Amino acid sequence: MRLPRFFEKKRGERRTGSQVWASAGEGAFYAALLVAGLVFGGLLVSGVAVPEWRINHDFLSTQGVVVGKGLQRRSVADPPGVVHTTWAPVLRLRFAVEGVVRDAWSRPLTTAGTSDRDTALSRLDALPGIGAETACWYDPDAPDTVVLKRGYNWVLWLLTLLLPGALVAFGGSGLLRSLRAWGKSEEHRAVAAGLPEKLAPLGQAPAEAPGFPGVPACDDLVNSPGTILSYRLPIESPESWALLGFGLFALVWNAVLVVLAIGAGLDLMGGRIDWLLFGLIVPFAAVGVGGVVLFIRGLVLAASVGPTQVEVSDHPLRPGRSYEVLVAQGGSGMLRSLELFLELEEQATFRQGTDTRTERVVVWSQPIKQWRDVELSPASRFEAEATIHLPDRAMHSFHSEHNVVSWRFVVRGVPERWPAFCRVFPLIVFPAPAAAQAGRRVVEEAAR
Amino acid sequence: MTSSQERARSQPQVDVHFGHADRRYQPHDQLAVRYEISGLGQERVRAVEHSVVWYTEGKGEEDLGVHHFQRITDEALLPPATVVGSFATDLPASPLSYEGVIVKIRWCVRVRLFFGGGRDFVSEHVFDVGGIPPAQRAAGRTAAGAEA
Repeated sequence: MRLPRFFEKKRGERRTGSQVWASAGEGAFYAALLVAGLVFGGLLVSGVAVPEWRINHDFLSTQGVVVGKGLQRRSVADPPGVVHTTWAPVLRLRFAVEGVVRDAWSRPLTTAGTSDRDTALSRLDALPGIGAETACWYDPDAPDTVVLKRGYNWVLWLLTLLLPGALVAFGGSGLLRSLRAWGKSEEHRAVAAGLPEKLAPLGQAPAEAPGFPGVPACDDLVNSPGTILSYRLPIESPESWALLGFGLFALVWNAVLVVLAIGAGLDLMGGRIDWLLFGLIVPFAAVGVGGVVLFIRGLVLAASVGPTQVEVSDHPLRPGRSYEVLVAQGGSGMLRSLELFLELEEQATFRQGTDTRTERVVVWSQPIKQWRDVELSPASRFEAEATIHLPDRAMHSFHSEHNVVSWRFVVRGVPERWPAFCRVFPLIVFPAPAAAQAGRRVVEEAAR
Repeated sequence: MTSSQERARSQPQVDVHFGHADRRYQPHDQLAVRYEISGLGQERVRAVEHSVVWYTEGKGEEDLGVHHFQRITDEALLPPATVVGSFATDLPASPLSYEGVIVKIRWCVRVRLFFGGGRDFVSEHVFDVGGIPPAQRAAGRTAAGAEA
């Protein structure tokens, strides 16, 4: 008997192997998650949901007399060797069931337990005193089981069912995907992609342009009319993301710093000095201040350089055609230079260990126009037009799940008093019309 | 492995003949393909799939798009009864074959044989769609990012 191969071997244009083990392994992983979710969910349902439901539906109402009060202690070793104790107030009730008088301790409420004994005692004091009458509910199947309160604890239900629900959903959809893929080639799987594949945890490619597989739709790029030319392009500023990153970093870092500083301050007020904590706070504070300075500097820079606008005469673009482009720059002050580039960028997303990494490479960059010593005025923005020509054999825009080929206008400016800025305006380029492609083939064949 | 097992195990070969001998096509061209399977041993072939796909190569994870797919399970149309197959399909407008720096797009015809024992064998034959010249890295322009 021959075992299936774990990995496929590729020899030139031929590959041989079996996906049985890979599919079995993947299926077993998702099945384990599904079973864990079901078992965990089952335990929670039987331990939390069913008892609570029975109390609300099956337990019978009666009046009981308080004949005793006390605290129920519950000790749990978690982790082993470390004992946690909780206290819950309970009442001993005397009540009649079908003519028979019973004495029983009430079951503590799920939310009444506390690790602080004094708190539990104060809660016990709030309960009816000895000799008082109080409403209670008992289990007709086990009359010594009696409770003082009914109702549902929805927060507890939500929290306890969230994890098993997520495990069941993730494991179930993964298992369904594995079963659907069982014994199928990757081509067959791609053709038969259904809902489980669409729910796959990895990202999906964006919407395609109708009739152009792999070419992203440009609906979102043609819904803003320009002031002079047909379309105003949306901005995709890398500086904005950097600014957001600096802001988040400064916020999180300084929040940690404040927590450490409060701890150190309380120690100091209590007459103790934790030198290790103080030693940590000093470099933390330096980094925190640096983060705030970088964020404020970026914010000032973003606010000081006015908005950039790019408009184009037609969209989507086609290879071999010419287009008018308008660059408009707002703000005030002097720009040493303002440049417009047309660029083609490749972007590849891949996994490296547990990280998902993205690499970008500009493979074609053409300077369209450069303006020097641009004087900006708040009253009227700088405006200039240029003509671009896309090469006849230019690659079209392409976007799949992990690979992207994208066109964009890039505006780079060098203000006189501020650091240089760069603003990106994405474009969509469709393949050349079929007639042009056919004509090109005729020319190529004639040349051969 | 014994010599009888060696004989029983297939060493398949798939020869594919394209309508365009230079394997260069333009969008919307008709792709006509004829293939011939040889080198089959005594293993039973339970299915043959032929497909026209594009896939990405390069630094990123591989993406795949299937343009044409057919699975043949009728024994009369499977080896050893039939060892020759053919199909034709009109190519789409995109994506075009592309030889980028970190992203490459390739078109190919795949013929996949499924054997009785669960093993499968795939033969892949690349062809070009469009006439995009290879890309080159623009000097000093690269960037990388990472997300957990």
